[in-house]
Amino acid sequence: MWRPASTWAREAGAVFAKEWRSELRTRYALNTLALFAINTLVVVSASLGPLGAAPGRGGEALPVLLWLILLFAAAAGLPRSFVHEEETQTATALRLAATPSALFCGKLAYSLTLLGTLEALVTPLYLTVMSLDVARPGLLVATLAAGGFGLAAGSTLVAAIIAQAHGKATLFAVLSFPVLLPLLLLAVELTRGAFSGGPPGVALMQLLLYDGAVLTAGLMLFPSVWNP
Amino acid sequence: MKRTAATWFLWLWIAAVIVGAFLYAPLAAKFIGQSSRILFFHVPMAWASFVAFLTAGVWSLLYLFGGKRQARQPRCDRAARAAIELGLLFGVLATITGAIWARIMWGSWWNWDPRQTSIVMALVFNGAYLALRDSVEDAEKRARLAAAYATLGLVVTPFFFFVVPRITFSLHPEPVINASGQRDMETRMFQVLLASGAGFTALFFWLHDLRTRLLALADRVLEAHGASAPGDAGAAGAAVGAAAASARTSTQ
Repeated sequence: MWRPASTWAREAGAVFAKEWRSELRTRYALNTLALFAINTLVVVSASLGPLGAAPGRGGEALPVLLWLILLFAAAAGLPRSFVHEEETQTATALRLAATPSALFCGKLAYSLTLLGTLEALVTPLYLTVMSLDVARPGLLVATLAAGGFGLAAGSTLVAAIIAQAHGKATLFAVLSFPVLLPLLLLAVELTRGAFSGGPPGVALMQLLLYDGAVLTAGLMLFPSVWNP
Repeated sequence: MKRTAATWFLWLWIAAVIVGAFLYAPLAAKFIGQSSRILFFHVPMAWASFVAFLTAGVWSLLYLFGGKRQARQPRCDRAARAAIELGLLFGVLATITGAIWARIMWGSWWNWDPRQTSIVMALVFNGAYLALRDSVEDAEKRARLAAAYATLGLVVTPFFFFVVPRITFSLHPEPVINASGQRDMETRMFQVLLASGAGFTALFFWLHDLRTRLLALADRVLEAHGASAPGDAGAAGAAVGAAAASARTSTQ
């Protein structure tokens, strides 16, 4: 059925607003994401020390650790947006209230803002405690934005799949790992370039292509995943 | 009858490939001992697992977006599942044969070579697909979610081909047709490899047909027994076994 764009945008906006309203009531995802990320960061920092200040002592691993912190924090908090709908049996009401594509975009916008908040909190903290100098701050911001978008898009679709299965928490990690790995490899490569001052090469273009591909796949597949 | 003749032809073909690999094809230069002969089995196994992955993707797309005759048909789901299972089998075999060869040539079983990384990702993906199936009870929902996940895998996989070779150093021999479009392989070796590739592709589709039919039979048995979860691997196998046992006792 054809719908005017304004109706679609209103539905997506309503889903986005509803997600944040219910999140701010409990602050479950915000607390989980932030505390998980900070705990991991403390462990990494306490065991490695200010590694960025001592070049040649394994500084190559620092971009990997940053993205692992972001990935595991996202895996701890992002699936909840769909799992919660199934647990509280509100999924049926949501099916009636919004078209699948509007719902997907509303949820994606929520995941994206949540992840953006997490990145804005964790990255400066990580750079500070590890004593890292960023040679190309613009590239780091672009990588965080593009990487965060891909992470949110992939996680949103996988979360919609696992919400309807058993063993949701473990299944999310199992299913999202093969999907998100290309993104992580690209994001780590770009972050390494941002720290050391290397050129982005084709990696940034490939990361943007990945984002586009996962977003398109999400929009096409979500109606099949969501509608019984 | 036709099927039997084709099966016999396949067996003879594979037997000829085995003989050709050991008696017709020469040994490759710069390879230790007889180790280059593993090429005629290792490469086609990896190829078959790739064909299996594509087959699963196509059947999943048909399940989700096929026309009236294809969409939401259990047979599309069974075909996709059978392809993933066989992809896992061929992938594991390719990994083991590759590791044996790597031990002989490179001195270690595992080196995170780009191709090793890629095949591990394929295995993890196939495993995740099967784990997802095991976590959903309702047959229709299971088929729908699994098809969506397989399609997502199909979209994401090409990125490995771009990314992984760039960030890791490879000792793996050049592809059969290298970057400059030249075939860098002795003619008799190339003939055996092509024949083996064709044989393994046919072997995959033969096994795929068998497995899909077996899954269809298992679904019918489960439906006849009034079970609620057709397509479930363990229950289906048990049901087929139970049906066979009851058929035997009724004829005695």
